[in-house]
Amino acid sequence: MASREEIWNVIHKHLVDTVENLDGQEIDTSKSIMDLGANSLDIVEIVSCSIRELKIKVPRNELNNLKNIDELIDLLHKVSNASG
Amino acid sequence: MNRIVLEISEEGIATVRMQDRAGNNAFSPAFIEEFLQTLKRLDDESIKVCVFCGLDDVFCSGGDEEVLLGLAQGTAKSYDLKMVKNILEIPVPTIAAMEGHATGGGLVLGLCCDMVIMAEESSYGCPFMNLGFTPGMGTTGLLRYAMGEYFAAEMMFGGQYFRGSRFRERTLVNYIEPKARVMERARTLALRIAVKPRPALIMLKQNLSLPRAKAVDEACTAEAIMHEACFRDPETVNRIKENFLKHD
Repeated sequence: MASREEIWNVIHKHLVDTVENLDGQEIDTSKSIMDLGANSLDIVEIVSCSIRELKIKVPRNELNNLKNIDELIDLLHKVSNASG
Repeated sequence: MNRIVLEISEEGIATVRMQDRAGNNAFSPAFIEEFLQTLKRLDDESIKVCVFCGLDDVFCSGGDEEVLLGLAQGTAKSYDLKMVKNILEIPVPTIAAMEGHATGGGLVLGLCCDMVIMAEESSYGCPFMNLGFTPGMGTTGLLRYAMGEYFAAEMMFGGQYFRGSRFRERTLVNYIEPKARVMERARTLALRIAVKPRPALIMLKQNLSLPRAKAVDEACTAEAIMHEACFRDPETVNRIKENFLKHD
């Protein structure tokens, strides 16, 4: 089980690792990952790395409908709490 | 039809464009068939160099669900291998202009070419192992030519996608350009080749592609044995199905 902040920290780390020029910048979580300059395969990379690090399983179809980073954090938080 | 388009310019530059937007430039049985038919037309005597390109966002995304499940369940032959061999056997020099993403078999398809241009903004990777099976289409023999032995190993074991810009210091391909400049670079490269005499181009091409063709041949034999073992595990089929759910 991880807190919402811990979940964001994990996503943030992989986001910065994957998308260039984000390091040290304030990230607006009401934006989508694509708004930050990620391409579709960057998103696969960021989400799958985060899920792996958090040791959770998220159904793929639930990931398809997310509109922004906040919704991704909420979903991973919900799954993490349910499995923890 | 028209998933693959061939154009031949008056300078002798053949351009093979993969443009199956609906199928995301993946290897469906129909895509493979059209691709192989197009390659047959490349023995035209007016052709001196051949450029392969895709859609602006996807160069080629490798095997689609039907093809991969067919392989895993033993109902389809790995006829995608034929694409690799036939590209290597194109008589004239080949250039891969990879503006968009190239993954799995799609990356291999590009790396079969004699010269390779990647885009800074696009992503490249070998996700075979994410699906639970060892790489195919000659990847284990070919990837090291482009990426070097150790980085190729990281890509194959890890299955991660790398931005083109990340390859700059790590790869051995010709150019990594901003996406908007990939086609222009390919054309400059092709024009330089197109003024050379065709018989000399053909001889040099055969000579230079031989080590890669041999490496692919040997790799395919080993890969087939590994695939047989991987596909015996029913979990592999589940992993493939789960992976393609996201595209529904």
